[in-house]
Amino acid sequence: MSKRGIKGALKALCAPLLLTLGGCAKSGLFLLEPQGVISRVTYHYFRLDVGIMLLIIIPTALLAIFAMWRYRKGGRGDYRPEWSHSYLIEAVVWGIPLITVGVLSYLSIKAIYEVNPYNPGAISSKGSASGKPLDVDVIATDWRWLFIYPGQKIASVDRLVIPAGVPVRFRLTSTSVVNDFIIPQLVGMIDVMPGMRTKQTLVADRVGRYVGYSADYSGAGLSWMNFETKAVTRAQFARWVKKTQAAPQALTYAGFNRFAKPYLAVYHHRMVFGHVQSGLLDHVVEEVMSGKVWRTPMAMTENMVRYMKKQQANVKAGEY
Amino acid sequence: MFVHLQGPWNPVWGRLSLQAIPYQNPILLGTFTFAMIAALAIVGAVVYFRAGPYLWREWFTTVDHKKIGVMYCLLGLVMLFRGFADALMIRTQQAIAVGPHSPGYLGALHGYLTPFHIGQVYTAHGLIMVVFAATPLLVGIMNIVVPLQIGARDMAYPYLNALGFWLTAAAGALVMLSLFVGNFAHGGWYGFLPLFELPYSPGVGVDYWMWAFQLSAVGTTMGSINLIATIVKMRAPGMTWMRMPIFTWASLSTNLIALTSFPVLMVSLALIGLDRYFGTHFYTAGQGGNLMLYNDLFWVWGHPEVYFLILPAFGMMSEIIPTFSEKTLFGYATMVVASFAIGGVSWGVWLHHFFTMAAEPSVNSFYSVTTMLVGIPTGVKVFNWIFTMYRGRVRFELPMLWALLALFLLLVGGMTGMMNAFATSDYMWHNGVFVVAHFHMMVLLIAASIFGGVEYWFPKVFGFKLEQRWGKWFFWFMVLGTAWVFVPMFILGFAGMTRRLDYIPVTQWAPYLRVMLVGMAFYVMALGFFVAHLYVSLRDRVKNRVGADPWGTTRNLEWMTHSPVPAYNFAYIPHVHARDEWAWRKEHGMASLGNESFEDIHMPRNTGVPVLLGGLAFVLCFALVWRIWWLAAAGLGAVVLVIILRSFARDTDEVIPAKTVAGVEGGAQDALPAPARG
Repeated sequence: MSKRGIKGALKALCAPLLLTLGGCAKSGLFLLEPQGVISRVTYHYFRLDVGIMLLIIIPTALLAIFAMWRYRKGGRGDYRPEWSHSYLIEAVVWGIPLITVGVLSYLSIKAIYEVNPYNPGAISSKGSASGKPLDVDVIATDWRWLFIYPGQKIASVDRLVIPAGVPVRFRLTSTSVVNDFIIPQLVGMIDVMPGMRTKQTLVADRVGRYVGYSADYSGAGLSWMNFETKAVTRAQFARWVKKTQAAPQALTYAGFNRFAKPYLAVYHHRMVFGHVQSGLLDHVVEEVMSGKVWRTPMAMTENMVRYMKKQQANVKAGEY
Repeated sequence: MFVHLQGPWNPVWGRLSLQAIPYQNPILLGTFTFAMIAALAIVGAVVYFRAGPYLWREWFTTVDHKKIGVMYCLLGLVMLFRGFADALMIRTQQAIAVGPHSPGYLGALHGYLTPFHIGQVYTAHGLIMVVFAATPLLVGIMNIVVPLQIGARDMAYPYLNALGFWLTAAAGALVMLSLFVGNFAHGGWYGFLPLFELPYSPGVGVDYWMWAFQLSAVGTTMGSINLIATIVKMRAPGMTWMRMPIFTWASLSTNLIALTSFPVLMVSLALIGLDRYFGTHFYTAGQGGNLMLYNDLFWVWGHPEVYFLILPAFGMMSEIIPTFSEKTLFGYATMVVASFAIGGVSWGVWLHHFFTMAAEPSVNSFYSVTTMLVGIPTGVKVFNWIFTMYRGRVRFELPMLWALLALFLLLVGGMTGMMNAFATSDYMWHNGVFVVAHFHMMVLLIAASIFGGVEYWFPKVFGFKLEQRWGKWFFWFMVLGTAWVFVPMFILGFAGMTRRLDYIPVTQWAPYLRVMLVGMAFYVMALGFFVAHLYVSLRDRVKNRVGADPWGTTRNLEWMTHSPVPAYNFAYIPHVHARDEWAWRKEHGMASLGNESFEDIHMPRNTGVPVLLGGLAFVLCFALVWRIWWLAAAGLGAVVLVIILRSFARDTDEVIPAKTVAGVEGGAQDALPAPARG
């Protein structure tokens, strides 16, 4: 099925829902509007998969409706109560799923290698992305994202700034529990695990702002654990780096210890660090592996009502 | 003791204190009031009708597989209601709490539930629906139907059967109690490590979750041992393997899954227990722990568990569709093979629950393919049901409507399941609501089969049919609700919306979330129609009385004996001549049960020990949750003591004299089957 076909069908399906309820400017259907190399390849295979499956499912549904209707009691269909076996039909009913699964398996494996987070075929083979890759270290805390640019020795909280058209290579870890890193319009999910280091790679097609968030349940702050991804031109990126390097705050191992304490990022106040002690990500991985924990205080989980009241007071006091 | 506990602890009350009672929370206070009124009404009714001794004698102490099955189903229905209430809360919260300007009520910043509260609601919804609603309902139906289908008088181990039920009930009670004393786990029903470790979940919520889960796992394992033994050893003479009814085959396959997978769950939960109680490091991030170990262990149980739920549902569809197509099942042997193929493949797919953990592409490829393989036997089943209707005479009575709904839900669920199996697509929505919508298609399929199965076998158990008018309203509003809730959810899946949010940051998603509320309204109305359905059926029970074979075109042994089934099931153990024995007998003029000389029937005697053990297990787990060590020790000691004492009991059987049997058989109005319907 064509690219427009499915997209159009889905949009047509959504349109009445949107119309009845006032509608919105932008659809918000992120997966159907990929803006990066990886997400585009994923979307391509997704469409192939759906198309092939529909080729099987729709006729099957029609056959079911036909059988129900044609052979309803009092209908026209002939009645043969003992008929319960046919080698031909058996061969067909095993054959069709078998062939479908064969084809889909081939496509699935091909796709897995193309978007392998550690070494995506889609990026290494295509010349579309150019320039020296940018390295970003990602540390997920309870419940914020810290993006460290080791080459530039700067860091940004809850905002990821990347140059468009350049491959970005992430190394990711978490301080406490498992999170899941995703920017739906650019790249799919990768687990961010404490005491471990995973990798991800993406290329943004063009300049723009994209939502990113944590997809794995990590506690009370999950819903606010999102970040803005800004894809900018290379010149803009260089300017941003320079500006950030001039920022007064610096991030050291000791400072990170305070930063990593549980914090609900309600109405983010985004911040930047003009200097970051090198090797912070590896340091965090090592610390966590040797048993470092940043506890969630009991007040956040247990005394729910008191916690709610405190939170309310804090909001009123403008603390968030 | 061994670990650092946040908050107070004392030797008498453990961690329990008045602060553990959430009386300040208006939602829980309301729930408590409702629960108390309901409990008082029930207790009042029992006292008023002096039903106490009757209930104790005939139900609480029973070892009759049919009564135990009925109690399983009642437990499942109560928990289904609770799980539905949780679903209502999730949907309303998400419809309100969209965008930074959305209002907040009852102390929440957005919506009316705080993050930890909705976390508990999610967890409870998932755990309850899977473990305390679907499982008891399915186990209950298997309990009732399997012995009847194979011509047995009871289960192989009637005492174990009762024990399994009471342990499951105790686990359910523990989950319910967590509403009012303490709280429940807040991270999702399958547990997240290391989030469920003490430093990140310092309270008792995870302990409640863990012990309730553990207890129900013990109960289900006992049930599976029992059903396997019953099917293997207690079949009526002449019932060879390939003459076994298809639902019995499905039960065998499903219980083999349960027997082999539930112990894995118990171990994985026990290791969390060791971490939380003794400070070991099985799943911690540091000090040698491995949090992915939990994912592996849990889903080695978790995925077979999915098929543990779905195979009996398929089995019920395979019983209902032939009956209401007035035809034998198409491809019996294929169906058997497919059931076991699904059971077998279920062991090789678990890693797709964490495709995003950054495994080698070769690993993800392997599990992507194995997951797709499940589609083959499942697809075959769909085709076989369609070809069962083909050249039949399809009657759209209520059980058939449910079975057909299940079939169409399977098409949607199967299609989306194949989309999830496609690993790279899964990367995009792995923890997203697309997956949620997919597995709700599958569990709603299970629910539809259960409702179909209950409609279908209800007259067999209670001797009267459920009325059809309100039942059809109930059915159609369930269909409407499902469409209005899950079509928007699939679309939100394409939007990339993730699971377990208490606040939705993307305002464009608001319309879909509100449309889902319309669906929830349909579901609420469906619940009303369900109550009306039950009420009218009970009111008109005399009018709706039926004979042995209420549907006229049934095919298996369970329809040969009276409705309701006498305690001993069959006055004579039938000799089986063919697959679809009852259909064969009707065809060959052997439908009469005959009433020559009756014999004494040897049956197990009722016992109060299982309900006592269930109660003690409840006390033990409660004490462990709150770390009241003396009570835990006492509870454990009592359990062991009761088990030892019971093992000395010799007088566990009784004999139903031939005279009583003759009386029952003579008195039954339906010794001859009802005439087959036009």
